[in-house]
Parts: sequence; C-alpha cells; structure tokens
Amino acid sequence: MSRVPFFAADLFEDDRATLLRTVYAVGTGDAQKFILGEHTARLERELRGRLGAADVVACSSGTSALTLLLAAMDVGPGDEVVVPAFGCAPLAATVVGAGARPVFADIDPVTLTADPAAAESLVTVRTKAVMPAHMFSVMADMPRFRDLADRHGLRLVEDSALAQGGTLGGRPAGRWGDAGVYSFVQVKTFGMPGEGGVVITDDPALAAHVRVLRNHGQDAARRFHHHRVGYNSRFDEVMAAFQLHRLTGLDDRLSRRAEIASYYSRRFAPLVERGIVAPPVGGDGRFHYVYTVLTERRDALAAHLAARDIATHVYYPRPLPAQPAFTRFAPPGASWPVAESAARRNLSLPLHPRLADAEVERIADAVCAFAHGSPQENP
Amino acid sequence: METTLSPPGGSPPRAAAPIPFFSQAATFDRLWKEIRTGCVDVLDRGKFSHGAKVAELERRLALWTGATHVVGVNSGTDALVLLLRAAGLRPGDEVVVPAYSFIATASSVVLAGGVPVFADIEERGHGVDPASVDAVAGPRTRMVMPAHLFDRLADLRGVCEVARRRGLTVLEDSAEAIGMRLDGTHAGLVGAGGVLSFFPSKTLGAIGDAGALLTDDDDIADTARALRHHGRGGRTLDHFPGIANPTVLPGCNSKMDDLQAAVLLAKLARLDADIARRSELATRYDVRLRDLPGVLAVPGAVPPHPGGNRVCYVYLVEVESRDALAAHLAAAGIGTEIYYPLPLHLQPCFSHLGHVRGDFPRAEAACERALALPLYPDLSDAEADRVCDEIVGFYRGRRA
Repeated sequence: MSRVPFFAADLFEDDRATLLRTVYAVGTGDAQKFILGEHTARLERELRGRLGAADVVACSSGTSALTLLLAAMDVGPGDEVVVPAFGCAPLAATVVGAGARPVFADIDPVTLTADPAAAESLVTVRTKAVMPAHMFSVMADMPRFRDLADRHGLRLVEDSALAQGGTLGGRPAGRWGDAGVYSFVQVKTFGMPGEGGVVITDDPALAAHVRVLRNHGQDAARRFHHHRVGYNSRFDEVMAAFQLHRLTGLDDRLSRRAEIASYYSRRFAPLVERGIVAPPVGGDGRFHYVYTVLTERRDALAAHLAARDIATHVYYPRPLPAQPAFTRFAPPGASWPVAESAARRNLSLPLHPRLADAEVERIADAVCAFAHGSPQENP
Repeated sequence: METTLSPPGGSPPRAAAPIPFFSQAATFDRLWKEIRTGCVDVLDRGKFSHGAKVAELERRLALWTGATHVVGVNSGTDALVLLLRAAGLRPGDEVVVPAYSFIATASSVVLAGGVPVFADIEERGHGVDPASVDAVAGPRTRMVMPAHLFDRLADLRGVCEVARRRGLTVLEDSAEAIGMRLDGTHAGLVGAGGVLSFFPSKTLGAIGDAGALLTDDDDIADTARALRHHGRGGRTLDHFPGIANPTVLPGCNSKMDDLQAAVLLAKLARLDADIARRSELATRYDVRLRDLPGVLAVPGAVPPHPGGNRVCYVYLVEVESRDALAAHLAAAGIGTEIYYPLPLHLQPCFSHLGHVRGDFPRAEAACERALALPLYPDLSDAEADRVCDEIVGFYRGRRA
C-alpha cells in the first residue's frame, strides 16, 4: 500500500498548465506589473463580494495580516492583548512584535478555542485587544467574544487564518471581529503555491490604514512619501491571477473536505468509549482545515498509523506560554490545564481534497483498529 | 521587398514606441525554457515556499557572493529587519542611517525596535558621509547602516573606521548592491551582515517580492533562519517536519516563494552578462550626457571609492529643472523615476524626530536634482540613444 502523506504534494496538479501560463503571462506582460496590480485588486473584489465584507486587503501572509492589523489598531508598548494559550506561534509573536504583551487565556476543552470566561478574567486596564483564534475545524465562540469586546471597549481581532469557508450563525469566519485574516499558504483551505494572506474588515478606515501599512506606509498617490512607518507586506500578481482561477473550484474543494471530515467523524464517534475523542459531524461554526482527534494514547496512535504508512501531525505539542519564545510572558505559577491537556493529546489526520475515498477509509480503519485492538484506557 | 518612405517634409514621423522605465519581459521570454523547468520542478516537489528551490538559490548565491550564509526571505525590507534583530539590536538602540535612501533603510530600524539617527551624504556619490556619521552618533548609538545606492558602495572604509573608533556594529543596506565589491569582498560582507532585494527591477529581480540576508556570522544566520519562520528552531527549510520544532524566538513569517526562487535561479545564471550589459548602457549614457549643459552629474564622472567597483543597478543623473525634464521625457513616452523626492529626515513618518529642512543639506539637494533613466539589459542601444536625444533636445530648447 502506498504511503499517505499528511500534506498533499500534488495540491495544484489539476492547475499545472494554468500556473505555468500565469507565470509566463505575468513575466512577459506589457504592464510588467508584479505586485499589488490589477489581479490583486480583482482578487480583493471577488473575496469582498463572496464574504459580503466592506473590504479585503491582500498582503504577504496570514501572520503579516495580524501584524498589520495590530499596527493599524495602534497596539504597542504598554498594551496587553489576550490570546489563546493553545495555538500557532503568530498569536503571541505578532503581539510581541508590536511591542505589546500577550496574555494567555486557557481554552474550552471541547472546541479547543479560547474560553471567553477565561479571557474576560484576564482583562485589565492595559488590555487593548482580544484575539481569539479558530482552531483545527472549529470556530471560537465569536458571539461571546464580540460581547466581551464591546462591554470592555476592546478591539476584537479574529485570527481566522485557517478558517476560510467556515460560517457561524450565517456570518463568515473573519467577519466577526473588528477585522479577521485568512492565510493562503499552500495547505490552507484556499491555499496557493506561494505565501500570501488577506485582512477582512467591515471598517473602511481600518482597511485604508492597512493598505497604507502594507506598502511602506506610502501615500497611495505619491510614491516615496511615507506617512507611517510601514511594512513590506504585499501580494504577488502571479498568485492573485492564479487564485482568481482557483476561486471557481473553492466550493467543491471545501465540500470534499467536509465530506471526508464527516466520514471520519461518523466512523470515530463510537471511539469516545475507547478514549479517542473526535470532532462532531458538521454543525454551525465549522470549517474543515485540519482533522484532529484527542487521545491520551496520542503517541501510540501516531506510531500505529506510521507503521501503516499513514502520516499524522502533532500541530501543537505544547501550549504557547510553554514555548521558549514566550515563557517570559507566562506569569509565575500560572497554568493552563486545558491547553496543557490538549497539547498532550492532539493528533491530526490527513485531510485535503485530493485524498481518495480508499485512502480515507484506510485511515479510518486504521484508527478504529487501534482503538479496538488495544486495551481501553482507564477513565 | 517593398519599403515605404515618407517623402521629405511629408507627414510627421509616427510616434516612437514608448520606453518604459523598466522591463524584463524580453529576458523573461528568452529564459522561459529554464524558468519553466524550474517551476515544473517546484510543482513536482510540491513545496511552494521555503522549499528546495529556495535552498538551491541560497547555495548558488552563497557561491556567487562568497557569503558563508545566505538566508532567503520575503523581501529586502524583511531581510533588513531580521538582520538588525539577529545582530542584536535592543529596544531603543540607535542606528545611524543615511538621510538619503529608500524608506526601508530607516523604517527597518523602527520595525526592529530601534531608533534611526540620520546622517548626511557625501558631496558626490550619494553614500553616507563618514564624518557626518561620526558627528551624529551618540552614547545610545550601537550600529551604523550605510546604504549602497544605485551604482556604487558607500564609503565603507570610512564608515568602518568611524565604527571601529566608536565601537559600533556595521550592517549594510546592500539591497541594491548585488555584484558590488570592496577589495573583492561582496557588499553586505564587509560589515557584520547585509541584504539583497530581488524586487523585480533589481539587478537580480524576481517577478514578485523576494529578498535575502547575507552574512559570514554563524549566530546572525541561525537567528535570522529562526526568525523568518515563526521563530522555529532547528531545520525548517525544505523540511516539512520542521514545523513542529519548538518556537525559540518571537518570529515572523518571511518565507520566500519557490516559484520566485526558480525565476531567480534562471536569471542568476546570466547575471554576469546582465551586469556587463548594464555597464555598457551606463557608459553609453555617460558619453552623451556628461558635458551636457543642464546635467550636473553623471555616474561615470564620479569615481567609486578606492577598492570599490561599479555595478549599475540604477543610472541616476543630477540635473537642473528635474521635474520639467521628467515631464518632457514622459511626454515623449520615456519612463523615469525620482530616487528620492523626499529625504528620510523630512518624511512625515519621522516627523516626531524633529528634523527640519536644512539639517542635511546634501541629502535635500540630491532630492531636488536626482532623476533615474531607463537602464536594464533589455534596453537597446537605440533606445538609450533616444533617451539621450530627448534630454539634449530638452536643454537645448530651454537655452534657445
């Protein structure tokens, strides 16, 4: 049996010719416009329409989108930003990069996203913003975060970098916060063969600010006049043209992801009795980026699957405040028991639209065999 | 063969084709076979950023420049920020930078947590004046970062002498300086580290944003490698499992695209020839423009600093009535650029530093007179001649 890699190497197989044609067309085009040109503007417009957002601003990555947002919101030295204790490094690194202090909130044991009550308990006079993140395939409790931010007068930054395609209460991921972001790095739901991302916002002033900041703080009309200390966080025309092509297939790819995730969840639902907790089938506030199960026998399950040529991945083996880069922001004696438990137990299975049914079944069979074949863990 | 000739004194000549300020379309078309092969290789491997092509480009650039370490990132600006951080800039540290440069020379200092301190440039040649560096450096100054602009190195020997005396670290904004060398040492490697920008119009240009950091210092390289990929320690380049490595530093995402690396590798193979062609064109301009009334300075009339070579990335003349000349050329379909219309100390984003016009008179004067003319390997001799004809015509007309 062939190996099932965690990340598909052939993500853009069907669009090879288009990609090569696009590279040639941009490289030899009369406009010789390579960055933030008409393709980028069109991609922004298309996404704006699709999301119903006031504005979408393309930039160099999802991480950079968060950095631009924090800068546009004037988050800086002396400020605190409440972030989840479990998640990807940019949640804390972008805050540190802005000169502010990340304050880590523990997470909800089911959704693995920031717990609004825990977040609220950490709000101080120095808190400038709260930045919940959607995790694996589940959106954070955005209505409660919206309410929390409104009551305390905080900015709400929605780290929706991996949640494109998700909606909660009919509202797309990325549109619950004052602003949200998407990442287009290849493995994401709208991944592309390069680095890029967007800011999504219904606040036109914030969007205008981000547009200035993404291109060296430069005046839109007068080149080399710089109003703000800005970044180089722009979007390449090759990628924009290619993404415009790929946009037509996005819904089909999202559906395929959802179909695979639902199959896994149906197969794994009974395994809760055997210590393997899988996400539910469908439901509101879901998107199907990464399929993650929780089990105390995580390493044994990973080894079991590896022995059957199925690659898995532990996204977050430790909570953010336990990462060497961020321990200095962990208050002495503080702990994040739910995040620590999730870090110990999370294991992600292959999930991408190019998986064949037979592969999906093989993965599900292997997980079920593991659950049934080894002694049940003591509660 | 049928030829059509306009009768003498007949209908006016058809407008000549526009000459853009920059194009690499013909080069790209000529290199398409190599570029395509590189792109197909990227597709076959399936890793589209921070992958094998980026690793290959880093190796090839290390050979070309002689750098011990080349660290590929998303842009020249990012490379500067990572270089400053990796070289140990602490919050509030001052870095002396020229008052005349692209914004990133100073904004990178702010983004890295430091404070830029401006110095004036030399009378000729657009590089930072070592005497001015000496004058503006203070007790909080830890670094100095000259920028090598247009076609030559700044006075690195002079800057290094001041830095040695005052205990400053020298970093180089060598974003424009691929191919420039001091006594054989590539730009960026004379001090503790430097950068390259692969912005499309650069001497080695991608078709999107890309950049690199150059250094011979193992620690700077290791730190920059971690910073560019979310602060992750250990090997991550062309190594998927690296994404599970511990986060050792608060980093950023500044990974280079492999498709851009494929374009750059194809162009790198002919970089020496491209630089030679740029030099030919620069000499062609020099000969026509150097003694022209109205033209105050051409690059060829100003010798490089001792030990330095010339690599003509930008052909920048200093002229009288600069804006009128630029408008005249634009009307003739010839693109130009003003590098730079406003000195850094007078940029609105640095108004809080309290500078006023008159603080750095040479930088201010350069901003009034500088005009960059089209110069790139795809430019033909005839096109360069036409640019010169228009400039000659402009000043003759004004004097008539």
